[in-house]
Amino acid sequence: MREIAKLVLVLGLICGISAGSLATVRTYLSDRIEKQNDLFVRGPALELLLQQPALAILGNKLILDTPDGPVTLFYKLDSGQASGLAIETNGKGGYGGDISIMLGVDMVSDKLLGLEIIKHQETPGVGSQIEKGVFRNQWLNLSANDPVCLKTDGGTIDGISGATYSTNAVINGSQEALSIFNNSKDRIRELISQMDSADQNPLSN
Amino acid sequence: MSRFLSVLIHGFWKDLPPFRLVLGLCPALAVTASANNGLGMGLSVTFVLIFSNLTISLLRNVIPDKVRIASYIVIIATLVVIVEMILQAYFFGLSQQLGIYIPLIVVNCIILGRAEAFASRNPVFLSAVDGLSVGLGFTLSLTLVGSIREILGAGTWFGNSLMGADFQPFAFMIRAPGAFICLGMLLGLMNAFSRWRGENVIQN
Repeated sequence: MREIAKLVLVLGLICGISAGSLATVRTYLSDRIEKQNDLFVRGPALELLLQQPALAILGNKLILDTPDGPVTLFYKLDSGQASGLAIETNGKGGYGGDISIMLGVDMVSDKLLGLEIIKHQETPGVGSQIEKGVFRNQWLNLSANDPVCLKTDGGTIDGISGATYSTNAVINGSQEALSIFNNSKDRIRELISQMDSADQNPLSN
Repeated sequence: MSRFLSVLIHGFWKDLPPFRLVLGLCPALAVTASANNGLGMGLSVTFVLIFSNLTISLLRNVIPDKVRIASYIVIIATLVVIVEMILQAYFFGLSQQLGIYIPLIVVNCIILGRAEAFASRNPVFLSAVDGLSVGLGFTLSLTLVGSIREILGAGTWFGNSLMGADFQPFAFMIRAPGAFICLGMLLGLMNAFSRWRGENVIQN
């Protein structure tokens, strides 16, 4: 009995110390990891969606609190007015887990600026086809006021045969982004103008 | 030769991984499509190896025999996750390239092998030196395999163009079969060299 207690104690202690040191390293590095993610993963996607250099857009980051948790947004300003928005969501139901996508929306014309896949773990060669232009370009110029749907559901999107789960996850993510956009459009505008005026006032930094 | 020196140099020829130990072949085959990846993988393993040897040697009288493997795995896994986070924070491109093979260092036989064979019965300093030696040996081997494959398969070395514009790369070297052939050739050459020097060739 004593021996078992010792085994449990030692192993428990080692696990505890490991967890502690991991948490410490994580708190030190998480900011930097997030920044690197912004630069190398989100940056290229933002450049394509909003047609501005990544470094200019990455500073325009906004975290919107929704009932389903925080959502990351990036926005583009044209002469002080918010003109473009990139909404990042997690499309549920992918074959290899959630698919992280970014949807670009033009805030003036309410048209979609495009779709970018940020992160996925779909099967290479099958589900990974969601990354291809042929699939993603179907999002271009759709109206942000209508739901994005597959053709079989009365929409305009051609799914990828053999990759139903992946296609659906991307559609789910787009729907989520669109509903965030349509439900909190005014709130987003308000936040952006607050951020913008804070930028111009050096005292507020 | 003093104990220290023999521990310091054994990882470079006598126990050179992956060739002489024939352990840790999975990363040696999978991530050596370029010299850069090989070097990054080697250094990651070296980091884990030094600190796992150090920690395990430090705790060798505390860890009960029955749960030693579990304890080693916990220690190694912790170090690997730390390496993963450091790579993501400072070498993002490399961490994307190495992908799943960084987490897989946890089950790398070299690390568990050194823990069991050396660190669990030797003092702290010597164990750290052993980790350094074997780790650097592994780094050199991976960089060598990576260099050969990159130069022949892509005509570049560490991303710099080496061959002229007329060079036709034989692309199969940077694919999976090239890895097996390159590793096998090197292994054969090393065994031939050992035999010529009259060393005991390990019969695999």
